[in-house]
Amino acid sequence: MKNTIKQAFHSSKFVTGFVIFMFVLVTIFVYPLIVTRDPLEMVGQGNFFKPGTYVAVSDVVGTNSNYRLNVDTSAAKLETGLSVENRAMMADWLEKYGEVPASDIDVTDAESLVALWNEKYDPKTVIKGMTIAVRNQYMRLNNQIQHALKDSGVIIAEKNEETGELEEAKSYDGREFVNQGDLPNTQTFLLGTDNFGRDVLTELVAATKVSLGVGIIAGVIATIIGLILGLLAGYVGGFVDNLITFITNLFTVIPSFVLLILISYSVSESARGTTMVGILIGITAWPWTTRSVRSQVISLRNRDHVNLSKLSGHSMMRIVFTDILPYIASYVVMAFILQISSGILAEAQLSMLGLGPSTTTTATLGLMMNWATQYSAHTSGTWWAYFPVILVIALISFSLNLMNTGLDQIFNPQLRD
Amino acid sequence: MKKKALLAVAVSAAMAASLPVSALAAEGSLPRNETLYFSGQQWGTVNDYNPMSPNSNNAMVIAANDAARTLVYETLYMWNPLNSQLYPLLAAPDSQPEWDENQANLTVTLNPDAKWSDGTQVTAADVVATVKAHMDYETSAGADMKNYIESAEAIDDTTVVFHAVLNEEGKAVNPLMLMSYMPKLYIMQEAYLNTVAERNNGSAEDIKLDRMEDLVASGPYKPYIANDQQVVLERDDNYWGQAESMWGSLPAPKYIAHTIFKDNAAGDTAFKQGEVDVSQQFTTDIQKYWEEQGLPISTYLLEPPYGICMTMPTMVFNTEIPGLDQVAVRKAIAMATDYDQIIASAMSGQSPSFADVPRSIMNPTDGEQAMVDNDALADLQWANKDVEGAIAVLDEAGIVDSDGDGIREYNGENLSFKAECPQGWTDWNAALEIVAQAGKDIGINIETYFPDASTYTDDYSTGKFDIVCASGPGSSIANPWQRAMWFMSSTYNTLSVNFSGNFGHFTNERADELLALIPYESDEATLKEYYTELSKIMLEEVPCAALMYRPQVFHAVNESVWTGYPMDGDGTDIPPMDCTDGYGIAALYNLVNVE
Repeated sequence: MKNTIKQAFHSSKFVTGFVIFMFVLVTIFVYPLIVTRDPLEMVGQGNFFKPGTYVAVSDVVGTNSNYRLNVDTSAAKLETGLSVENRAMMADWLEKYGEVPASDIDVTDAESLVALWNEKYDPKTVIKGMTIAVRNQYMRLNNQIQHALKDSGVIIAEKNEETGELEEAKSYDGREFVNQGDLPNTQTFLLGTDNFGRDVLTELVAATKVSLGVGIIAGVIATIIGLILGLLAGYVGGFVDNLITFITNLFTVIPSFVLLILISYSVSESARGTTMVGILIGITAWPWTTRSVRSQVISLRNRDHVNLSKLSGHSMMRIVFTDILPYIASYVVMAFILQISSGILAEAQLSMLGLGPSTTTTATLGLMMNWATQYSAHTSGTWWAYFPVILVIALISFSLNLMNTGLDQIFNPQLRD
Repeated sequence: MKKKALLAVAVSAAMAASLPVSALAAEGSLPRNETLYFSGQQWGTVNDYNPMSPNSNNAMVIAANDAARTLVYETLYMWNPLNSQLYPLLAAPDSQPEWDENQANLTVTLNPDAKWSDGTQVTAADVVATVKAHMDYETSAGADMKNYIESAEAIDDTTVVFHAVLNEEGKAVNPLMLMSYMPKLYIMQEAYLNTVAERNNGSAEDIKLDRMEDLVASGPYKPYIANDQQVVLERDDNYWGQAESMWGSLPAPKYIAHTIFKDNAAGDTAFKQGEVDVSQQFTTDIQKYWEEQGLPISTYLLEPPYGICMTMPTMVFNTEIPGLDQVAVRKAIAMATDYDQIIASAMSGQSPSFADVPRSIMNPTDGEQAMVDNDALADLQWANKDVEGAIAVLDEAGIVDSDGDGIREYNGENLSFKAECPQGWTDWNAALEIVAQAGKDIGINIETYFPDASTYTDDYSTGKFDIVCASGPGSSIANPWQRAMWFMSSTYNTLSVNFSGNFGHFTNERADELLALIPYESDEATLKEYYTELSKIMLEEVPCAALMYRPQVFHAVNESVWTGYPMDGDGTDIPPMDCTDGYGIAALYNLVNVE
């Protein structure tokens, strides 16, 4: 046993798969210790906030830390306000609608360009033939330019409770900074938020844990059923074999996923917890394990050592467990790994159809994908809502499959170097 | 061997290539700059052109609702939800339907210029024949109409009188409902109705199922192509509306086309790419299309909520279910719900909040808000996501969790309900998930249930539900009265199949009294009093609770090909109704190609 494990770790494929899998495993157990937020908490009020750190505006305004940095902030502001594209747009407008000859427009000279723009552009004029979209675009551009040009700073006013008038409390120019560490309220969403405003990273970690759980439950059940039926059919043979093969064939012919959908549909949502989904996947995924275990057992059944055991009068159970099972154990382990991997995928597929566990009780990888698609994250460019989920699913199945091929190389004499 | 394989590849490639080519050929026959493309209206193949059909699936032609779609068939008037006015269509210019002194007869004068597509005049006799056909053949519209309209009578070619069904006092039983047919009833030609009746040997069942592909109508468009790929209407260049007494010109697009999309996502993609001009679909974060992706897409309002909200998707409680028959339980669920979250995430910010527009019977339009006294209701409003308040309400009513499983019991039974709406109605699905979350917070088990649309329809219309999300009447001439009926009228409780409203079988005597009084009342102050009292009952008894406000139709436009769409503050009073519905159709006459 020890030797086998040692051997396994000599396979680079197995090791790579194992490392990735362990990384995922460690993450799902360690992350919740650091970030204790409820993964289903709707933190963001809105759809798909982008990844990054969020700072409370009132904190920034209210903080007393006074750091003046000799940094010219207006340059950065001007740069975003007057990017190359924006300058091209301004030039375009001036030429088309401002009746300025092209030769008078110099996009490289920001100052004169802005002066010209301010002179000619009036957001109120309606230009015939201009679409609403283009008109709005110029209005936004104008706002951006005006914002970029502003260097008068910001004045914070407070309401005088007696007179009800606004009084100047503080004023800031562009050089006042705050240290992020001084702010009591910052929220970091490394992967942004989803359509419900839930923190995607926290949800993803929780979902991976749940999905792995579903995969393992499904894998254990499918492997146990498959193993028992396969051993029986292969070793006992005769009528039992025929019967089991018949049933197995029946289940192989009916696509197991269709069966899974039908069963899931008939189970109510409240009963469809993660364990139930795992069980459902398990009891529909066993046929191919049965078939392959059966064929392995048939080839073992007439080996000399088995016959010897039979002659010695050993019981069937003993023969199966001591003379047959050890020989196919490596195979069963590999089948188990693949069952986990396909169990995770099956959960994702089910949840995509809305037949997985319920959204309010748990997070799963499939549910995350489901809501991301429903809220068209793929068309609005909010990659963080679905891409990390796909990546995690891919990583898990990739690592499990790598481990599987690694083991195969060791145990399968035909592949052994 | 290799050669053979190569050949096979070539053949299959050619076959694959030929498919899009033929699809292109069909589409290519419509010149893009003369065609206005839609999405979000027609799902599945068109089955008939019959306004009397019980199961018509032809959204571009037949949508006889409060603001009817008048591309092919026309109504007497057009409804404008922006200013709550009726605009004449087949009716005489600048005319309004007129009641006689007793409110028993309603007179409508027709525009003498109005013509059918076969060139004959639209006369009062056609209006009479239309009403008669609906009643005689017992169409679903006719069955409803019979409650309010006794008959219609042609005085002369251009004058028609609707005789109302009268009550004991000799007045119309419901003048509002009779009026509501003015912008809703598609007028059909008498001669053509006779043709249809003849070829079906007068059998009502067969007439209702007649496909009417050879229709005679009065609208600016006529059927052109209808298959499983697309629906196309072609402009009738002899359309009577180009007369100075009506529009004075033809609508700009020569073709109106609607590709049959598989789902919302497919329609959205086409809209994004400029293959669709006018989209009637809910789009998450629509502002990203112009802010981040720089697409020529815009909505009626520049800022959130981007559209004019006129309806309220509402969670309706089944007041006959043990547990939900308790006001405390209903109120607690309504109080604990995070509406701000629903509006921000489920509705993607495309709705005003309940802090901006407090809960009442009214939709957020200025016209309706003026008909309720919000100050008088202020004490009855609940804060957003008031979990503590909700828990207090339940505790006070003695509905507690006595067996320690985290779920409260009523009469020894765990409070456990299903919240239902159709699968794939994304914003409603997400909203109900947030309601389920509220249940979790206050110890009531609410699970979401998203069946297919027909199961859902069946469930709510027959009362087989616990909590259902449904949307009541939007803006129309009979509103807010009709919406108030939809919320609370117990007159629907005896119907075995009920599509009219109050699906939860709520009963309140005072509400019924008020609802009966409103149709006869014309004094605005009294009406305001009535509506305020009704709103009070709704907030106190919570037979249902609005989850968000929502536009009657979504209206987003892509200006890749066409421009000149209505927008807020453009000086016209054309409502954002997809350029097709009610007075919204006026937009078609202002469209121009983008240069």
